[in-house]
Amino acid sequence: MTIGNVLDPTALRTDDITSPGPDAGHLAGKTVGIRLDEIWRSWDWVAESWAETFRDCGAVVKFWRSSQGRTGSEGERVAKSLEEFLNSIDIAVVGLANCGSCTGWTIHDALAAAAKGLPTTAVCTENFLELGRNLAQRGGRSGLRIHVLPYPLNEKLREEVDAVAHDHLAGMLGTMGADLNTVREAAQ
Amino acid sequence: MKTTETVTASPRPQQAVNLRDCGPEGCDLDWLSSERHPAEIDDVMQFTDFSLQQGWGDGLPVIPPTEGRVRAYLADNNRYPDEVICALPPTNAPCTVEKIAINAVMAGAPPGSLPLIIAALEAMAATDFELFGQNATTAPVVPLTLVNGPVRNRLDIPYRHGCLGGVATIALAIGRAIRLIIRNVAGQVINVTSQSTFGTPGRVAGILFGEWEERSPWAPLAERRGIEGDAVTVFGTMGTMNVLDTTSQTGPEFLEMIGKSLGYPGANGFSPSMPYAEIMVAVNPVWADILHRDLPALQDIQELLWKYSSLDADYLTSKHREQLENLGRVIAGRVYLATEPKDVFVVCCGGTGGLHATGFHSFGTCLAQTRALVPFPQSN
Repeated sequence: MTIGNVLDPTALRTDDITSPGPDAGHLAGKTVGIRLDEIWRSWDWVAESWAETFRDCGAVVKFWRSSQGRTGSEGERVAKSLEEFLNSIDIAVVGLANCGSCTGWTIHDALAAAAKGLPTTAVCTENFLELGRNLAQRGGRSGLRIHVLPYPLNEKLREEVDAVAHDHLAGMLGTMGADLNTVREAAQ
Repeated sequence: MKTTETVTASPRPQQAVNLRDCGPEGCDLDWLSSERHPAEIDDVMQFTDFSLQQGWGDGLPVIPPTEGRVRAYLADNNRYPDEVICALPPTNAPCTVEKIAINAVMAGAPPGSLPLIIAALEAMAATDFELFGQNATTAPVVPLTLVNGPVRNRLDIPYRHGCLGGVATIALAIGRAIRLIIRNVAGQVINVTSQSTFGTPGRVAGILFGEWEERSPWAPLAERRGIEGDAVTVFGTMGTMNVLDTTSQTGPEFLEMIGKSLGYPGANGFSPSMPYAEIMVAVNPVWADILHRDLPALQDIQELLWKYSSLDADYLTSKHREQLENLGRVIAGRVYLATEPKDVFVVCCGGTGGLHATGFHSFGTCLAQTRALVPFPQSN
C-alpha cells in the first residue's frame, strides 16, 4: 500500500448568488413576461390560465415563444429576440423544464432574466426539478426561484392540465413573491 | 505505509526547450494548482474505488493522477498548466491544461494526444455546438470526434476495420479522456446535471475515429470544411446506426437504401423541438469507390441522401404531422431529416469487407465544429 497525493480532476465555478432576487410584489401596472416553448402544449395551457389571473390583478401579460434552435443564424435571431423580450417586461415566468435540454434552456433563459434584475421564476416539472436546481447552481445562481408542477404533465388532457394550473396558482404566486393581498382583492 | 512514488517520464524530443514546466521532478515554482488528495496510488483497483467515491471516475479502472504523472504528461507537451483552454457547460468552470492533463492521465491517454484533446474541447466549447443542451438532455447524445490528417497514424486513431469499436488501440484512452473531462470539468453527471434516459456506450470512451483518407475518393472532411492537415471535427450524435445492403450494385441504389434507412420518425432530426439538423454517414471504402464511380460530384451524393432520408408527412401520426406543419417543416408533403443537402456529411472509413454503412443521427440543432490541431511549442 502506497499513499501519495493525487490531483483533483474536477473544476467548479466558485461564484454563486444564493438570493432568490427581488419579489414580484404588486402585479398591477406591471408587465409579466411568460416564456413558452415549441414542445409542451400543456405549458401553453397552464400559462394561459395563469395569465388570466395576472391580468385580473392589473398586469399586462406578454408571451415569448422560445425555439431550441440556438445555434448559427437562427441562434442569433433567438438571442436577439429574447433580449428584446426581457427588456420589455417587469416580471419573468420561464418554462417549461420538462425534458433534459429544455430544462437546460429554461434555466439558461431564467438566469438571463434574473441577471437583468427581474423578479424571475423558472417552472419545472417534478422529475426535472433536481436538474433545474443543479443547473441553476452551476450557472452561478443557486437561489433562483423554481416552481414545481407535477410530472407527467404533457400526457394529460386539457381539463386535467387546467386543474393542475388552478391548483398550483397560489403556490406559483408565492414562489414569485407576488403580493397575495392584491391577488385576493382581484379575485373578489 | 510509504509516501513516495516513482515516476518514469516519457523521453522528450531533444529539440524541445521546456521553460513552461519544471518537468516530472517539479521545482520551486509550483504551477499545479489543483487540490491534492491523499490516496492509494499503487493499487489501481483501490484507487478506482476511491475515484468512484469522489465522483471522479466512470467505473472503469483509472490511473492515479499523481503529481509526478501529471508533471510528466505536461513536460512532454511544454504547455503552461494554468492556460485556460475553454469553458465547458454546464459548469463553465475554467478548463485548464492542468485539468485536461489530470483527466488524461486517469484515462491512460498518451501525452502526445494533448493537442488532439485540446482541439476537440475547443470545438465542443463553441456556442454553435450547443454542448449545454447535449450535456443536460434526456437523449443519449455524445459528441463524436472525427480525426483527419497524419495525426491519425501517429496516435493510432482507428479508421479501418472496426474503427467504431472493437479494434485494440490506445485511441480509446484518448476518447475516454475527453469523456472524463466532460464529466469532471464540464460537470455532466447522470441524474445530477444530465437527465439521460438511457445513455449510450459512446459516453464511456467517446466515439473517436479517423477517415481512411488514403482510400477515400473525397477530400478529408476537415479540408472540405476549410482546415487542411491535422484536425478534428466534433459532431453531436445519437449513436451509431448500421445499414446493411447486400443487394445494391450502383451508387444511386446504395444511396437510396442508406437514405431510406436513415429516415425514421423517431430520429431527432424530425423532432418538433429541433428546427434543423445535420447528419453524418460513414461509407466503407468499397462502397465509396462505387459511389464515386457513379456520382463523381460529392454534392450529388449528398443530395440523394438528403432526398431519400426525408419522410412522407402522411407516414407520421396526425399529431406529429400537425406539430411539424405548424413549424413550417412540411415542404411539398415531405419532412426533411437534414436541413439542406450540404448538411449531410459523407466520410469514408471502415473495413474492406464492405456491406455496411453507418449513420450518425444528430442531436439536432448542435452544429458540427472543426478545429486544427496546434502542436505544442518547441521553446518559449
